[in-house]
Amino acid sequence: MDALRRVAVIIGYEWRRALAKKKILALLILAIAFQTLIMIGFSQLVGTIFLTNEIKPFMWIYGVLQGQGLFVQLIAIIVAGSSMAEEYEHGTADILLSKPITRVEYISGKFLGGFSLLAMVEALTTFVGVVLSLWFFGAQSGLQFAPLMFLAIAYSSLIFFCLSFMCSEIFRGSTLAMLLAFGIFIASTVIGAILVSLSSLSGQHLYLYLSECIPTWAATSFPSFLMSELITAPSTALPVADPETLYLATTIIAVYTIIFLLIAAYRLLKTDVTKKTA
Amino acid sequence: MNVSNLTKYYGKFKALDSVSFTVDKGWVYGYLGPNGAGKTTTIRTMLGLLKPDQGEVQIAGVNPTNNPVNALQHVGYAPELPTLQGFFTGEQMLDFMGKMFGLSTQKRKERITQLLDLIGLKEWGKKKIGNYSKGMVQRLSVALALINDPMVLIMDEPTIGMDPEATAHFRSLFTNLSKEGKTIFISSHLLDEVQRICTHVGMINKGKIVFTGPIEQVLETFTQQWAVEAELEKVTETIVSSLKKLDFVEDVKVDGNKLMIELKEKKDMRGEISSEIFKQKGVLLSLNLHKITLEDAYLRALKGGK
Repeated sequence: MDALRRVAVIIGYEWRRALAKKKILALLILAIAFQTLIMIGFSQLVGTIFLTNEIKPFMWIYGVLQGQGLFVQLIAIIVAGSSMAEEYEHGTADILLSKPITRVEYISGKFLGGFSLLAMVEALTTFVGVVLSLWFFGAQSGLQFAPLMFLAIAYSSLIFFCLSFMCSEIFRGSTLAMLLAFGIFIASTVIGAILVSLSSLSGQHLYLYLSECIPTWAATSFPSFLMSELITAPSTALPVADPETLYLATTIIAVYTIIFLLIAAYRLLKTDVTKKTA
Repeated sequence: MNVSNLTKYYGKFKALDSVSFTVDKGWVYGYLGPNGAGKTTTIRTMLGLLKPDQGEVQIAGVNPTNNPVNALQHVGYAPELPTLQGFFTGEQMLDFMGKMFGLSTQKRKERITQLLDLIGLKEWGKKKIGNYSKGMVQRLSVALALINDPMVLIMDEPTIGMDPEATAHFRSLFTNLSKEGKTIFISSHLLDEVQRICTHVGMINKGKIVFTGPIEQVLETFTQQWAVEAELEKVTETIVSSLKKLDFVEDVKVDGNKLMIELKEKKDMRGEISSEIFKQKGVLLSLNLHKITLEDAYLRALKGGK
């Protein structure tokens, strides 16, 4: 019970620390503004070939998903990238880890604190997406799946959250951690697109399989794959994914998450606490 | 606290070389050493922040590296020139630390009021730490170390950055805490501070302990002789040579119109010396017995001599 209490104290601390950073709030406002603008844009296309009336009841899915691709990943990278590193940079890791707490409890609290904050952001963007779709496109279908959509988005954001968290602990510098994680995100997106193009040009499935192993594929596609499984109406225009693809995406997210977390934990448990670096 | 055979490498650099000492209950242990000697490395290893390559630390019989929860439950630590979380107010920071130690809400409330009063930051409790001066942060850092009413207090240069009034206040606080039976470990550059408040001293140089023991013993150990400093109107060769001939005089050094007469034994020989100077028609302006200070002992210890 004491261990759980200590983890909970660190979770609370992590929330305060992250919320004190204005750039997270700025990104959240930007994400919501982006969602709103896109929905306004879509509302102008209703009735055209770009947005048929059949899609209108499913627009909430797009309202929720559009923020997930870039902004949620970016917020995940920023929240996690500073989580461990800033404590070393400011020298506050010394103060925290010289208290009666194990390093496992500390990293668990840091991870859960950061991730729960990210999940709150995702819950908010999901809610905003649903509200905007109701506002602009009227009654929506399949809204009972909105909580599942939120969980899918949270789960899929684990990859880049954990990658940035790992970089934060390995390099113990927040800027480097965020840049590296964001660089991998961009590189992974570009390489994925190239591999998919190569596959369609050459007809070789190997390129396609390779593209599926790249972190962005599962991180960005998983929620839409899940929705296409749950809402079978063809008018949703969601990418069709068979159960095996969904299973593959689930596994890839889990594998990357576990590997990144284990590396971060190993680094913290096996090495010295770095003295103030900034 | 028992530090035994502690060795720590940073790459190929040996930062601590078989460091051993014991600090018993109720001691105020001053840990002295020049910059880069290994003082902070010793403290960080004692707290489990650094993993020793050899040796171990035990606080109340528990190793903080293996079992930080039990070892550090009754330890308070104030780091050197700390950076505290600027988004907290002083009260919130103390409350957070209280939570880390599992103190109840009521207990935390009481301790926060007591400690803010004790460190003279009562009016600043509700202000963000980001607005505090260096000295105020240092004071708050000591309060944070005391939040759990620790049995062992470890402080790295605790009065650095404080004004003279606060320094005096905190020195008296440390003395009072030791009277309550708390064990205090202070790393400091301020020899005067150590001499005033410490019961025991440890000296480290280039990662090696050069002395550990009671403060009286350090002065005894590092001085084999006393000296008499004499200021004359005029120093003549006759005076110097006659003083050198005295059987209790080891050596006489001349510096302008001042003489430093080193004695063979730890005895006050000012009477005999003044008689000899008068005999040689010298005019004595002042005559002082030069006993060793902690600073002398410290400098001699660092040079490796006695």
